[in-house]
Amino acid sequence: MKNLNTLLAGIFLAVALPFGALVISSQVQLGSLGRAPAEEGGPLFPSREPGLAIQGRAVYVSLGCVSCHTQQVRPTGQGSDIARGYGARPSVARDYSQQKLVLLGDRRIGPDLANYGARAKTLDAVHAAIQHNGQYVFLYTGVKNDVASERAVALAAYLQSLRQDYSSPEAKLKK
Amino acid sequence: MTQENRSGRPQGRPPEGDSRLTWTEVQLRGPFLLFFVSAVIWLLAASVLGVIAALQQGSLVAGPFRDCEILTYGHVAAAQRNLFVYGWGFNAFFALNLWLLSQLGRFEFRNGWIATLGGAVWNLALTYGVIQIFAGNQTGFGLLEFPREVGPVLAVAFLLAGFWPIVAFARRPTGHTFASQWFVVGASFAFPLTYLLAQLLVLWQPASGVVQAIAHSWFVSNLLLLWFGASALAAVYYFLPKVLGRTITGYYLAPVAFWTFFLFASWTGPSALIGSPVPLWLQSVGVVAGAMLIVPVIITAINFHGTLSSEGGWSRAWNDTTLRFVSFGAIAFTLFGVLNAVFGFRGPNAVVRFTSFAAGQEQLLVYAFATMVLFGSAYFVLPRLTGSLWPSAKLVHVHFWATALGAVASVVALLVGGFESGKQLADASVSFQQVAKGGSSWNVALSVSAVLLLVGHVAFALNAFGMILKSSAPASAGRHD
Repeated sequence: MKNLNTLLAGIFLAVALPFGALVISSQVQLGSLGRAPAEEGGPLFPSREPGLAIQGRAVYVSLGCVSCHTQQVRPTGQGSDIARGYGARPSVARDYSQQKLVLLGDRRIGPDLANYGARAKTLDAVHAAIQHNGQYVFLYTGVKNDVASERAVALAAYLQSLRQDYSSPEAKLKK
Repeated sequence: MTQENRSGRPQGRPPEGDSRLTWTEVQLRGPFLLFFVSAVIWLLAASVLGVIAALQQGSLVAGPFRDCEILTYGHVAAAQRNLFVYGWGFNAFFALNLWLLSQLGRFEFRNGWIATLGGAVWNLALTYGVIQIFAGNQTGFGLLEFPREVGPVLAVAFLLAGFWPIVAFARRPTGHTFASQWFVVGASFAFPLTYLLAQLLVLWQPASGVVQAIAHSWFVSNLLLLWFGASALAAVYYFLPKVLGRTITGYYLAPVAFWTFFLFASWTGPSALIGSPVPLWLQSVGVVAGAMLIVPVIITAINFHGTLSSEGGWSRAWNDTTLRFVSFGAIAFTLFGVLNAVFGFRGPNAVVRFTSFAAGQEQLLVYAFATMVLFGSAYFVLPRLTGSLWPSAKLVHVHFWATALGAVASVVALLVGGFESGKQLADASVSFQQVAKGGSSWNVALSVSAVLLLVGHVAFALNAFGMILKSSAPASAGRHD
């Protein structure tokens, strides 16, 4: 404890080893995940993100939506996410492999959005939800706040693109 | 048990300081006051935002600044958390860590302008980052919200402002070292390393997919435990024996506490990702590390509460302003460690996941522990450095009671409120709206606690600034030499 070099070496290892074991090794394990069919010859999932959705995610990030909304469905036995209708199956790492920026979130002041695109019935319902009873009306113009700004259009496209309602090799939908 | 070491001073007890201002302290004054004053200003700003955020969280529809883009909850909450952590927490610990290690190492502090420059750069970068958050330019990762160009600037500023404790440790003339020194050196070294690696893999060269979330969880746990936790533990190890004038109970265990704390803390990150779409082995590592962290918690509990329990220590602590705050913090840390171990396990964690519970644990660590210890330290250090007394005893009382009650109320509201809503959420037949309604009384408590904290901080700021202004009158320059 008297030798600075020993102390610093110990602290360096205490920080660097977990970094290597937790972060680098999961990059090795998950880094090559890509689109894959659930069964041989099937369609590839997850879909690529539409361009408008990528712009919409920038709006989502900019407004700090992630401070109230998660985007992850836990397996049965870990909370009631599936029973609550947040998703048909638990989220898996592959679902996020096409996203440049992953916004799992850690707080649900509002409901989970991992599968919102599959849940939302109509585009009007999505816009109504974005307004949060008048909290985010600044994204809309018009007398009745019914004309969506470009940002609102992009945000809605992003929210509609959020879906995990396909079978993945790691998590198949129950038939 | 007083084992004498070679320098003839009992272990488990910091050296007796001279009551007069030393030459070192004259040199320290400038940078210390810069860090301290900016810390308190950021603390006030964060508390105002804290009140707004608490009201907004309680009612999205009727909360303040409805339909105002700049002040939406997503902006206010992010700015509040960053200002509190990087504005208050870092500046205050820059000041305290520098002072602590200068005292313990009899450090002749030269080239103080480098620290001052670092402090100026740190605060300018912080101001820019917070303005960017309000302007809608944030990254989406908690505590890394500043746009990515801020990261390298903050890292350089940290090296200029926060690296001095390591220099002080390296240059110390005495061979003997004290627990506080290890913890401060650890904090000052672990943070820049963590920050640079996290910046790299989360913002500059983002890892693929959910690995971003894994790197982020590793960063957050390191920031909270290895910067806030370790720095504040160092202060408790110093002030308890110093003010009580006795050795730490079971001091021989302190090295074990230090190494186990640093060994396990950095592995606990993934325990914030239980149930998330990340590999199971990773979640299990986080759970195990969280449980192992109980070892340093138990040892520090023996060290701190043992010291306080002997020979009427508690009543003496209660009657001393510094120790009143510091012992409050020491209790909070023990509580944090126990909760952290219990709610790291899958079963309990599944209940409280995604509720306010995690915010409650963070509040327990960074506020009820670290911030209260910082307040206590300020009551000890500032009179020495400024050479004057605290202007108002009443304001000291207001400060203690408002912050202590506010801390308890906010922690209870977040923890118990989170646990209750988590239990309701586990039942899928209860709708999300019903759960939100059920939590509204806890949100009222949260808003009240935010106001209490603001009141306490204003009292503290008035008292501290009054004292600094009084002492900067020209007559006092160099008075103690």
